[in-house]
Order: sequence, then structure tokens, then C-alpha cells
Amino acid sequence: MSAYRALLRAEVAILLRDRMSVFFMLLFPLIFILIFGFLMGDVDEPTARLGLAETGAARPLPRDLLAESGADELRDFESAEALRSAVRDHSVDFGLIWDGETLEFLYDPSRIQEDYAFQQIAAGITDAVSLRAQSLEPILSAEKTHVGTEASTRWFNQMVPGIIAFSILSSGLFAVSGHLTGMKDRKTLDRLLVTPMPPVALLAAIATVRLVVVYLSTLVTLFASIAIFRLSFSIDWIAYTLLVTSATVGMMGLGTVIALLVRKPSSAGNVANVLAMVMMFLSGIYFPVEFMPRFLRALSLALPLRHLTDGMRFATGVTDMSAARFWLIVVVFLGGGLILFPVLARYVVRPQRS
Amino acid sequence: MTDVLLLARTHVLTAIRERVTLFWFLIFPIFLLAILSFVFGQLGQEGEISFEVSLVNLDRGAAGSFSEMIESVFDDLAQSGEEGKEPLFQLRRPTSEEDAGAFLDSETLAVRRGRRAALVVIPEGLGRRIETELVTIGPSHGAASSDEAALQIYYSEGNASSDMAVAIIDQVLAGIDREILARTGRFDPQAAIPSSTTWVGSTSEETRYVDFLLPGIVLMGLFTNALFGIPGAILFARDQRVLRRYWVTPLSVPRFLGGLGLGHVALSALQIAILVVFGRYALGATVRFASPTALLLLLLAIATFMAFGFLVASVSKTGTSSMAIANILNMPMMFLSGLFFPITGLPAFIRAIVYANPISYLADGLRASVGVGTPLFSTGLAVGVPLAWIALSAGVAVWRLRWDVGR
Repeated sequence: MSAYRALLRAEVAILLRDRMSVFFMLLFPLIFILIFGFLMGDVDEPTARLGLAETGAARPLPRDLLAESGADELRDFESAEALRSAVRDHSVDFGLIWDGETLEFLYDPSRIQEDYAFQQIAAGITDAVSLRAQSLEPILSAEKTHVGTEASTRWFNQMVPGIIAFSILSSGLFAVSGHLTGMKDRKTLDRLLVTPMPPVALLAAIATVRLVVVYLSTLVTLFASIAIFRLSFSIDWIAYTLLVTSATVGMMGLGTVIALLVRKPSSAGNVANVLAMVMMFLSGIYFPVEFMPRFLRALSLALPLRHLTDGMRFATGVTDMSAARFWLIVVVFLGGGLILFPVLARYVVRPQRS
Repeated sequence: MTDVLLLARTHVLTAIRERVTLFWFLIFPIFLLAILSFVFGQLGQEGEISFEVSLVNLDRGAAGSFSEMIESVFDDLAQSGEEGKEPLFQLRRPTSEEDAGAFLDSETLAVRRGRRAALVVIPEGLGRRIETELVTIGPSHGAASSDEAALQIYYSEGNASSDMAVAIIDQVLAGIDREILARTGRFDPQAAIPSSTTWVGSTSEETRYVDFLLPGIVLMGLFTNALFGIPGAILFARDQRVLRRYWVTPLSVPRFLGGLGLGHVALSALQIAILVVFGRYALGATVRFASPTALLLLLLAIATFMAFGFLVASVSKTGTSSMAIANILNMPMMFLSGLFFPITGLPAFIRAIVYANPISYLADGLRASVGVGTPLFSTGLAVGVPLAWIALSAGVAVWRLRWDVGR
């Protein structure tokens, strides 16, 4: 126990001295939140400013249809040419020229990420105008009921738990494939081997420090997103704490596997970095998994980050999942990590071959 | 001259031999280009994207009713039009043994849990209500009715695939609406208002996502290559006292810089070539970088990013700290530049960062020069701001960069 306490003190001192590591672990997820929060604030509900040029004055376009179309703002233009310029210089998002007979929608091809939403609105306007022209109204409507969780009304709400999940993955992974392999590379572990220190005490000290820092980091990220972007979460603190703990241990286990597979300890951090980056894009953090091709959707099911992200969304009340699946995620992460702990202990005491 | 060329060759070979460098330099940009093209390049395209949707018809009974017609439209959308393509909807329906109520409950839960994008319910009596509406509808009546014919859609707001599936279902319903009105002789499809699409901007054609993305990924690759490569090459060599050994030879700092610069330009050219070839032949990109303006902008980008790499090297104490600084700058500079997201409509203080970022001008200029964007900035700004960064970075590097640990 005294070895654990001494190593814990040493690990805390090492961490506090390494300001860059503290920054990366505590505040780097916050940078992601700030960037994506400001970038995606409007993407969830894209502003659609429609410009209208009515060149056929004899038959004006019914304004009530345009108001109900989903366009957030309607601006009138004197001529088709003025409207074209406005679409070109982004004063409006898309345009509509109505000559009394035909509808001509104008889009800027460079707004490739937004044009799809504008085209959806345009399709609705075309349908409504066509019916009205024959003195008809739609007879079939849709009653839409939101059955998701209360917190989930914006995609950014789902992204924040994903970013938190990624920070847990990185921290747990690099605790072994980075910190521990670095110690091995610098032969610090070889020196510790000649002391009575049990390797499990070192691992427990590293895991404790990582757990505390990761937990703090996730809280900073979570509360910053609430304070700055007014997101709402319905956090189940027990589930949240259990998931953060088990996932950190589980990711340390994954780090162990990487450390064992790579020949040079110094390469483990690089391999972990590459793996983390690939997983980040395939786990539904930045865009829904459903948008990916079928083979990538299947691949994402094999990635631990995908399940950690889903679990974190559940623990923060953003999405729902069955209690059985949540517990399975917790048990697999915790079990995987704990099973690999003795393997990791053997790795620690394995002499470094030069 | 031989020493400069030898140094350039060494720089290129070292970068290529280092597998991690190779990943960030080449594999990662290719991976990102492919994954983003797969995901965003096919948004809304039938056959490329598929949603799991459940459908329950509670209005069974009358054969040939409107409810059956609605059901058959959804059935058609669950069939793939082409071999190898996915249908728009993967439709789940209750089996004959399944209780409709229990199915509704389980599928509502599936929507809540994100396993289904939406649940569409044709409520009991919908067909009859449509018939009633058709009787009352007329040129002077509109569709006012207390007993509205409405389909029920259960979805999860904020879940992007659910929101998208609902938007598609809305369009499907509009089509069904017209079909019903046409079949009953109320709507004349021939007299429907024609609509057309015109693309206004740098091109009169729709831009493909991969064409929009490729210039951004090329710039991203060049930026990360310089941001990590230049400080790494100088500072790790300085920390390991490799540079000290150089300085006892007749090699001067300018010649060392010449070799490093030449090697970096060669690496960048290789990077551009591989990305463009991959974009063109693997992803079908048609964008052309062969115009003089595009080539000049690429050269300006290489020079700007290389200078920025020197700036990072000059403010870092060691090679390791330069990597940390580069890591901190990398993501914000890339994301706040319009490489991946539009930069219009951002808050003022974020816009200030975007406007100070040289990548914003290079991305804007490069996209405009290859015909996939209307430039937001004037040519003067597109060239002037990166040049100002080169001058600033070079000035700081001359003032602060130390070429030996001992000096």
C-alpha cells in the first residue's frame, strides 16, 4: 500500500510538472467543443434566406405558401439579375424567380453542404404552388411526434458526449501506449524493477491519476457546453461515473494490447494516435453512422469508441438505450481492462531489450 | 549545390521512411477524403443512403383503398432500383402473427433508441377520411376539415438520420397527395407548375462534393505536413545535436535551409500529386489544378505553411514542445478556415479568427481558381494575407530561431 501511495504521489507530481499533458487532458476536448459549437450552432437549424424576384406581376406568388415553406426569411428583389447577384454574393441563401408561369430556383453550387436543405424547401414550394394553382390544398398531412429524449433536439447535443467519449479513449489509451511505454523506452521501468515495487502498484497509481483527470476533463467539457451553448443534458450520474471509470480501465486494456503488439515501445503512442483518429471518424461522433456506406457501418460496430459514444449519449440523457446494452458496455470495458491488467503487469516487468 | 540537393533528398527519404510521418502526410488525408466523400457526397442520393423505417397500416380492410396505395408507395421505396444499391428505406412491418399494438410499442422504442429512423403509422379510418376530404374539396373549399387525413410519424428530433428520413417522408407524402388528387381527377399533372434549377456562381453546374472537398484536403495535407514536418526536422536535429555536426562542415545555414526547403517542396508536390490522382481515379473528382492561378496558389500555400512551420520552430524550446504547439494549432486553424465547413454566419469573434487565418484565404482562392466556389475575398486579400504571414513568420524566425543547442 505504501508503494502505491508513493507511486501515486510521484505520478501526480509528474503530471503537474508536465503542463502540456495537463492541457491536453483537461482542456483539449474543450477546444473541440468551442470550435464545433460555434461552427455547428446554425448547422442544426440552417438559416435559409430565400430571395424572390417576381417578374410576372400579373400573377403574384401566394406569400402564405412561402411563409410555410421552411424558409426563415424572405427578401424581395426588383429583378432576376439582382437576385442572381445576391445568391452569388451570399446575401441570400437561394433564390426563386417567378414569372407567373414557372418557378426557377437559383443555388450557388459552392454551398454544397447546404444546398440539399435548400432544395428540400424548394421541392415543398413547388408542390404547394402547383396545388394552389389548381385551387387545391394538400389533403394528406403528417402528424409528427418526437419520441426521442427531452435533451435530444440538436445534433450538437449528441456530439458533445461523443467528444467526451473520445477524450476518455485518448486518455486511457495513452496512459499505457504513451506514458507507460515512454517509461519503458527511457528505461525508467527497468530501474524500478530493482526496487521492491510491485508492478500492480504502479499500474494502479497510473490508473488512479488518469481516472481523476479524465473525470475532471469530462466535467469541464460537459459544463462548458452547457454554460456556453445552453445545451441541456439529463445526466444519470451513477451511470456516467460507472461508464467513465470502466471505459478508462477498458481503454488502458486496449493500450496494453497495442503495447504488446508493437515491437518498439516508442511506436506504441504513434499507433494509438493513428487508431484513435481513425476510430473518431467511424464512430458516429461527428456525423451519424447511418450516413456511412454499409461496410463502414458494419466496421463501426467493431469499434469500442462507437459503443462508448452510444453509452455516453445514454448516460447524459441525449439518447435512449436498453439498460441491458448499457450494462453490457460497462461490463465489457471493465472486464476487458481488468483481465488485461495482469498482462500489463507482466509487460511492465518484462526487461527492455536493446 | 550538391549539398543542397543531398539535404533535400535526405529530407524526402526520411519523411517517406518514417511510417508515422507517412500516415499523417499521406494516408490520413486520403482516409479523410474517402470517408467524407462516402458520407457527405451521397447525402440524399437514392441508392447511396438507406434509412431503417417501420410502417404499420392500421387501416386494413377495404381493398384498393387509399391506405393500401400509401402502403404500396412505401413498399416500392423499400425495393432497390439497381443491383448493388441500397433501397431508400429498409422497411420493417409487423408479421401476420405479430400484434400491431405490441409492434407499435417496440418500434416506438426503437425510434427513441435510434435503431429506427422513423415509424410511420397509417391510422385506422385514414382511407375513409381521405375520401371525405375529396368530397368536400373543391375550387372554393380548400381542404378544411375537422377530421383531417393525417399520417402519424414518430421520430427523434436531433437525431440527424431521423430528421433526414422525416424530410424524405414529407416529400413522399407530397407525391402521394398529388397522385391521389390526380387519380380522382382533381389535379391535372399536365398543368402543374414547372420548376427548374439554375446554378449561379463560378460554375453553372452542380458541384460534386468530392470536387469541393479535394482542394480543402490538399491544403490540409500541405498544412499538417509543414506544421509538423518543418519544426520536427529542425528542432529534433538540433536537440539530438545533428545540426551541431553540420555546422562543423562547410555547410552554411542558408544552404541547409535551401536543402530543407527544396525537400519540403518536393514532398509537397508528391503529396498534391498523390491526393489529386486518388481523388480523380478512386473517387471520380473532376476538379483540375492545372491552371496557372491554381498552381501559383498552391506554391503560395506551400510557402506560407513552410514559413508558419519556421514560426512554430522559433517559438518552441524543443522538438517535443514544437509538436505540442503544432497539435494545439492544427485543429483550430483547420476547422476555422472554411476547409470543411462554410464560414458564413459565424459569431463575430470567431469570424475575426477566420479572417486572420491564412488558410481561409488560400482555401477560398484555390476553390475559386479550380471553379468550385465563388470567392469571398478579393484577389488582393487572397494573396496579400498569406504573404503578410510569410513576412511575419520569416521575421520572427530570423529573430528567434536558434540553430544550435549550445549557441
